[in-house]
Amino acid sequence: MSQNLTMSPDLGTEDWDPDVITRMIFIGPGAHVSEQEVVSEFHMLGLPLTIKNTCYGSMISGKSEDVYKAIEEIRKLDPNHIFTKERGFAPGDPRRCRGHRFGPREGFHQMEKEYRILGFVSNALENPKEVEIEEKKPVDVDEFKKIMNECLENKE
Amino acid sequence: MVKIAIYPPNSLILADLLERKGHTPLVLQKQIRQKIKDPEIDSPPMNITEEDPIKGLKYAAIEVPSGVRGRMAIIGPLIDEAEAAIVVDGAPYGFGCIGCARTNELSIFLLRNKDIPVLELTYPTNQDETYAMVNEINEFVDSLEETDKEEE
Repeated sequence: MSQNLTMSPDLGTEDWDPDVITRMIFIGPGAHVSEQEVVSEFHMLGLPLTIKNTCYGSMISGKSEDVYKAIEEIRKLDPNHIFTKERGFAPGDPRRCRGHRFGPREGFHQMEKEYRILGFVSNALENPKEVEIEEKKPVDVDEFKKIMNECLENKE
Repeated sequence: MVKIAIYPPNSLILADLLERKGHTPLVLQKQIRQKIKDPEIDSPPMNITEEDPIKGLKYAAIEVPSGVRGRMAIIGPLIDEAEAAIVVDGAPYGFGCIGCARTNELSIFLLRNKDIPVLELTYPTNQDETYAMVNEINEFVDSLEETDKEEE
């Protein structure tokens, strides 16, 4: 692991520019667009962005103004199924990229967990409705006693 | 536009729902980006400098482990900036990016004590709970907009 921790990457000028940001675009379950369509749409926008196709959607990097503009446009494809999130490191940064590490990158596990309920979030955005959740309560002692006695009697 | 602190501070769902409503989620990734673009530090995750635990003293006492103070140096400014907060509780193990239970507790404590509107939710496990979570977040954000307008 030591090489991961002591790596001093040779970064380009863009990597040091504080105005350059990176965002991850997630395509939720049941989306009407594919990763490829999203990436093609990004290319069609003609903005100076670095675009990367990933398993969950895509990742874009560029000047913040261009990135926000691109995200606004891309959300129009499927507003309820496209989710976006900031990312600290640029795409392919050797300090985080899976290609240079021995296993999933940090942040992947939470992404995996959130993806499980992403479909429900999409449904909630698509068809908003009021729901009432019944709180789970512990069994009443008297009732528990009654059931217990019934079981014991049946056993005899 | 209200600056809203979220917990876990790298949550995709919370950040996205707030951005949809036109608000600014205070996410940890922005802080990390600032840190890694600092030319003096070139090797995260070994990026905690001797300055960080000192900065962390603003949020935690000297007896608190330096790991907590170092983390607070990154999360603390987000808490300072927050005008409202959404905290998700009861998330599955490994959820969130802090990697330190005490820092989590301290951050949530600071958010609760900050005299700002705080919405506390439980991590949903099924469809109905997710519906309720999304509704609650939307209602909370709408109520912030109303108070924002009243103040103006």
